[in-house]
Amino acid sequence: MSEFLQHLINMLVLGGTYALLGIGLTLIFGIMNVVNFTHGVLYTFGAYIMFIVVHQLGVNFFLALPLAVVAGWLLGAAIELILLRPLRGSDIDTTMLVMIGAWIAMQSGALWIWGGVAKSVTTPFPEAPLVLGPVSVSWLRLFVLAAAAMLIVVTYLLINRTKLGCAMRATFQDHDTASLMGVNVDMIYTSTFAIGSSLAAAAGALLGPVYVIFPQMGDLAAVKAFAIVILGGLGNITGAVIGGFILALAEELGAGYVSSGYRDAMGFLIIIAVLIFKPTGLFARSERVG
Amino acid sequence: MRAGIAILTVVAFASVPLWLRDPYLMNALITTGIFIVGAMSLNLLLGFTGQLSLGHIAFFGIGAYVSALTSLGFDAGLPFGFRMVHEPWPPIIGFVLAIIIAGFCGYLVGLLSFRVRGAYFVIVTISFAEVVRLVALNWVELTQGPLALTNIPSITIGLPGLGDLTLRTKLQNYYLVLSVAVIAYVLISRLVHSHFGRAMRGLMENETLAVSVGIDVTKTLTLAAVISAGIAGAAGSLYAHYIRIIDPEVFAFINTVTMVIMVITGGKGSLAGPVVGGMIFGLLPVFLRPIMAPEAQWIAYGGVLIVILFVLPRGIVRSLAQRFAKRRSRVETVAPVAFSKRDAAKEHA
Amino acid sequence: MTRTFGIVPAIALAAAFLGGAANAQTIKIGVNEPLTGAFAASGTYVVNGAKIAADEINAKGGILGKKIELVIEDNKSNPTEAAAVAEKLITSDKVPVLMGAWGSSLTLAVMPKLMEYEVPMVVETSSSGKITTTGNPFIFRISPPSAIEAAAFKGIVDKLELKKVDFLVINNDWGRGTAEDFSKMMKEKGITVGAVETMDQGAQDMSAQLSKLKGTDSETIIVTTAVDQLTLIFKQAAALGLKKRIITTGGSQNPDQIIAQAGAAANGTMHLTTFLPWFPDKTPNPEATNYFIAEWKKRGFDFAGCTESFRGYDGIRTAAAAIEKAGKAEPAAIKAALWDIRIKGLNGDIVFKKSGPEGKESGQSQPNVYLIEITDGKIGMKTL
Repeated sequence: MSEFLQHLINMLVLGGTYALLGIGLTLIFGIMNVVNFTHGVLYTFGAYIMFIVVHQLGVNFFLALPLAVVAGWLLGAAIELILLRPLRGSDIDTTMLVMIGAWIAMQSGALWIWGGVAKSVTTPFPEAPLVLGPVSVSWLRLFVLAAAAMLIVVTYLLINRTKLGCAMRATFQDHDTASLMGVNVDMIYTSTFAIGSSLAAAAGALLGPVYVIFPQMGDLAAVKAFAIVILGGLGNITGAVIGGFILALAEELGAGYVSSGYRDAMGFLIIIAVLIFKPTGLFARSERVG
Repeated sequence: MRAGIAILTVVAFASVPLWLRDPYLMNALITTGIFIVGAMSLNLLLGFTGQLSLGHIAFFGIGAYVSALTSLGFDAGLPFGFRMVHEPWPPIIGFVLAIIIAGFCGYLVGLLSFRVRGAYFVIVTISFAEVVRLVALNWVELTQGPLALTNIPSITIGLPGLGDLTLRTKLQNYYLVLSVAVIAYVLISRLVHSHFGRAMRGLMENETLAVSVGIDVTKTLTLAAVISAGIAGAAGSLYAHYIRIIDPEVFAFINTVTMVIMVITGGKGSLAGPVVGGMIFGLLPVFLRPIMAPEAQWIAYGGVLIVILFVLPRGIVRSLAQRFAKRRSRVETVAPVAFSKRDAAKEHA
Repeated sequence: MTRTFGIVPAIALAAAFLGGAANAQTIKIGVNEPLTGAFAASGTYVVNGAKIAADEINAKGGILGKKIELVIEDNKSNPTEAAAVAEKLITSDKVPVLMGAWGSSLTLAVMPKLMEYEVPMVVETSSSGKITTTGNPFIFRISPPSAIEAAAFKGIVDKLELKKVDFLVINNDWGRGTAEDFSKMMKEKGITVGAVETMDQGAQDMSAQLSKLKGTDSETIIVTTAVDQLTLIFKQAAALGLKKRIITTGGSQNPDQIIAQAGAAANGTMHLTTFLPWFPDKTPNPEATNYFIAEWKKRGFDFAGCTESFRGYDGIRTAAAAIEKAGKAEPAAIKAALWDIRIKGLNGDIVFKKSGPEGKESGQSQPNVYLIEITDGKIGMKTL
């Protein structure tokens, strides 16, 4: 039983960061209809920013986090402006392939700059965990959960309570009408991509110190993000949050009780199962952003 | 004219071993050739049917594993205490089985494509490849997992009256790969220029219209997927018996991306495209290795893919063909298909 | 017409001359190591150690009057790539001898190429028994197979009073081989072997396995994997409050790094190592050890890497000694010479004894094995 509780705690912590990943992608995929293959790279980028800022620039860990988020935002905006805007109107295949090219180039760039040896980020938290009866959880992971929760709330408020968010939701529903209503659709697209990318970078910045940082770390993260988006339904933030926790639960239980080797397969299996049986996602009714 | 160029090219390729002695370059040509067969098969789905299947390496890898396991034999446990035991068979049977089983997997993917389209189809195909990779990685009893299947035997061909010929040397493997590549090319070419080919392209150009003239979407997509997967499986089998070691990394997404880059750069929807793209991206790493680190090369390849998509979206071959056509003011024949009611009626009957 | 006629052969001659001249000036040794992927940290340490050996030899004039040149290639921690790299080193770079390939699965993948092209390889790290028992006469190993580790551990087992033991090993030849050899040895001693958990070489999150092991009734866990994963395991074990005794094997531990990363959680853990950079005087060759460590520090490398890099150093020195003995940089001669050399390695004498089936024996040297313990953030020899 205590083993089960331990898995549950692990799941909660992981689910929070997965949710961040998923929200970022569901916004991009939902509003812009772009299969964003660079999402994983942004995750990796966020992690490396943490490494550089904390270890090479000597900045405080807690200050490094917002820096990573901002860096992700900037990189996302750059990608959108340079690669996606000129292709506006092309078919989805072309944009997808361009994203793949960008992904390859950027990941190889990370490999070239930082090398293949994994990097660790030292954190200011004590190694001794917080013990709650039969289960333990490290302070670092609690912090990660708290930070992820905070970012999720901020994003939710952004989408549902601000003018920008309103414009994004309008563009999601019908971008021609939105543009007729005076929404600057181009700017919305750039903002959406930037926000989504910054969330991926945040997820990487949070999980990087928990594990280790290496150039290919984003590949798995990207697939998991897609799984969450498909689970939760395109453009559905609440769905993405719930989807993130469902994926984490499936992984923990699958790894704990079925086979640890298939842990990462859970995401893929979910994708395939959902797309075969319920392609619109588990939360089909709410198909709107927010 | 076109046939002339094709024959000349084949003759040119066939003559290579006569003047190229460097075993390292021969090795590069052989693996490039294998990947070109894979790229041609991807082109069938990507270029002629319009299905962006990004899990294509799964068929290649499945072909490789099936062929390797058939020729090595295995002994694995199944649920409920059953055991699957297989004695080694000649590799040539592995080759045939690879085509059949990979083709069957293509059938499954084809069925899937009926339920999910567009971006979702892409994601599903990627997931399929990844699940296959994880199975290969974890079902250690069968596949040896990360330890890799080693000492895979070379293909042996029984020549009537002459005994068995085991294809061990680079020279022999080169001609084997060349033969398979030529056969695959001819097969795809015939397919594309047949009724079925027109159905595929009709589907790609305008699905609603195609359906309205009676083209069966599922059947067309599924059949295209089966053939595409089968050819990829054949390539995988050649790979397994040439380099004689297979591990789950063969399913890595980067290998699909390599084939995609070959097809897109060469020109999707053109028969020679994958060959041109394959030659470029199969041999470039070899020549660049002394001057550019592999990571730097991949940065360049990513860049090239992007630039091609922006500047030459139809790929090198078709852009060049267009230039030539303009010069000779001839109408290019690989253009969008114009459907006539008569053709449609023939399909129906 | 006459002009081009003249230029082409002139260029060809010049190229041949230059190329040939360049070749004649260095003796190449192929280095096949993981510089990216799951074993990148370890592979990089080994390569840096190798460079120290090469530079030392070249500073003393090289061998046979020529400088040695390390041709270093990355096998990406992947068996297929390891085989491809070996092929490239042998057919394209024409190296007469190799060192590699770090991991057991990687080395096993390279072995058929060695047979095909008849080129010898010095195996510096791999520990799977299979490497020296499958009849490959081109293999010469200076690291201990896990059977030897297990045998060395036999004496320690009673003193530690082990009753029931779990295993957490990396899912490849190395980890599984270790679990097998150690289990066999322990069962003979009447110790119960409990769970054998594995982890994928690329896995980042072992909390599932660790949670499971936390709940068993064994008092000891034996862990075998590379330093990258060990770091994660110790962090995650600490986070889960896992309080069992942990002993690591495999020679790729990195106690300094573990202390740095896991802090207090590392106390009480024990490690079966094949080198003692912390106590140079206890090594068989204190003078050489001191030189190596000083050189390593001078180059600004992380001290923690010494536990692995010394193998790269010893490996290159072994290959160089064989080339010197052979009198020429040719594979067949070097292979014969490897049987005749005897050099003082950092971890004991390097001399190859026959191992494996008759007529096709591989060479195996017998290095020392030590048990160290981390107490209060410091490394000490385990006194038993």
